[in-house]
Amino acid sequence: MAQINLTTRPVMTTKSTFRINKRILFWLLIGPALVLFAILMLYPLGNMFYVSMLDWRGLLRPSTFSGLENYQRLLEQDDFSVAVRNTFIHIGIALPMTIYPAFFIAFWLSFRPRGHRLLRIIFFSPAMIAPPGKALIFLGLYFPDGIINQMLTSVGLQNLTHVWLADPSTSLGAIIAIDVWGGIGFYAVLFYAMLSNIPAELYEAARIDGANEWTIMRKIAYPLLLDFVGVALMLHFMWLLLGSSQNVLLLTQGGPGNSSLTLGYYLYEQAFEVKRLGYSQAIGVVIFAIGIIGMFLIRRTTNRVYEF
Amino acid sequence: MKLTQTSRTFNTVGYGVALLYALTIIVPISFIVLSAFKDHSDILANPLSLPTNLSIDNFFEAQERANLLTAMLNTASVIIGAEVFNLVFCYVAAYGIARIKLAESRLVEAVFSAGFLIPAFAIILPVFLLAANLGVLYEPGYLIAFYAVSRFPLTIVILASAMRQIPQDFEDSAVIDGANRLQVIQHVFLPLTRSAVATVIILNFLYVWNEYLFALILLPGDFKTIQLAVPLLRAERSVDYGLISAGIVISLIPIYIIFIIFQESIVKGLTSGGLKG
Repeated sequence: MAQINLTTRPVMTTKSTFRINKRILFWLLIGPALVLFAILMLYPLGNMFYVSMLDWRGLLRPSTFSGLENYQRLLEQDDFSVAVRNTFIHIGIALPMTIYPAFFIAFWLSFRPRGHRLLRIIFFSPAMIAPPGKALIFLGLYFPDGIINQMLTSVGLQNLTHVWLADPSTSLGAIIAIDVWGGIGFYAVLFYAMLSNIPAELYEAARIDGANEWTIMRKIAYPLLLDFVGVALMLHFMWLLLGSSQNVLLLTQGGPGNSSLTLGYYLYEQAFEVKRLGYSQAIGVVIFAIGIIGMFLIRRTTNRVYEF
Repeated sequence: MKLTQTSRTFNTVGYGVALLYALTIIVPISFIVLSAFKDHSDILANPLSLPTNLSIDNFFEAQERANLLTAMLNTASVIIGAEVFNLVFCYVAAYGIARIKLAESRLVEAVFSAGFLIPAFAIILPVFLLAANLGVLYEPGYLIAFYAVSRFPLTIVILASAMRQIPQDFEDSAVIDGANRLQVIQHVFLPLTRSAVATVIILNFLYVWNEYLFALILLPGDFKTIQLAVPLLRAERSVDYGLISAGIVISLIPIYIIFIIFQESIVKGLTSGGLKG
């Protein structure tokens, strides 16, 4: 204690401005970032709630306060209920179909099978392709006479061919496939990196007790990584809820009919194409609420911290 | 982890799943690369055949129609602007949060951490409206500022946690030697946070390079980023997939080079500070 005082005292006396201006210094350092963050992120977030209570149809048109009317309109619109349903199907299928196969692949990779380095590079590749690139690649696969249909025909499955993007029964599935395709490799590589931190002795001990790989995966590797799996689930959930609507925008615009209309795309369409600004922000508030609730639920079910 | 003997069924299933998935990646990517050298009718007739005559016309036409190289330069300038903007503000803010212990420090950190819960996409219209109100709609500078600020939470969390790991002694002894705060930052913090800064730069680079929607909404027609330029190759009526493929290939080359070089740090960044928040 005495020693600490000896070393710190002289500092405080010679540089007395240090202590006196600590608070001012803090706000000088933090202030600019905080102000910018408030203007460009927090204010728009708040404004979303305000605009959602306006009757406002177009940037140059007048707006009038309409209370909760936009929310009432949401409940009356078939498009909205279809978008909610499609969003739940989209997330309900794509989320588990991405994260769990990714975990299995990562676990298998963590035993360093032959070719694991090359496989990791291949697996991470889709994550490097931006949404427009991804959408346009899949456009080529989904053509009426594109690769998928040609492959199905060549193995004698003509009756399974579809006009994938223009068929109401497959359009949503076509969007889901892109997210699953892009997500598995990305999360597999990240899970692999996390699994590499698990000490080998843990697996060895389990093996001595007679556990096989499947048991080790379920009883050791998965629980140890549960916290991070939760982070991955949250991230992918948010991507599916919002980011994935870029695929809808680039490929189907919600169609045919509203068969691939998701909430994220519905928000975009109402805001920037139909220009029902107020209404679009009511959709935004619903999405925001779904996002918060979803993340809370994921956190609740995966929040167990193990030390290793 | 040490390699241990794995059972045959586990290995078979593992290879089965992994190779099947690898195939779903290799086939479309080879298809794109091959298509870039073919014309549309050839692509539809033999999607996976090797191009008969190695024609690079598609690349020239893609460049001519969508001005891809200019778009790449535009993207590069947006990236540099956003990186500098982001790092300058976040570095000093992270220093304040990590090193000045006040009651407010925790609160401020919590505000930024809560920023992780704001999905940028959800606020796209308010962000657009704000630009209109400020009179900076369709100014590339506004997009740059928005990119930079929307990454504040991630950058601050990564940098602050790196700065906390620097022992206080290092700072104290520099101060005893007569260094002021600025010199402490320059001689103690900058060298010791280099890898965190690199992580931030790479993650921001990937984000801005790949971003599509905000660029679509906030940029003027005559300033296109690479992600806006590539979809231009898709005409309304007739699709020339050779042309589209060439555009995709051109847009992938720079990012793929970055990925191959920085693969380890990208993954490390994403798993350490990057995702956790």
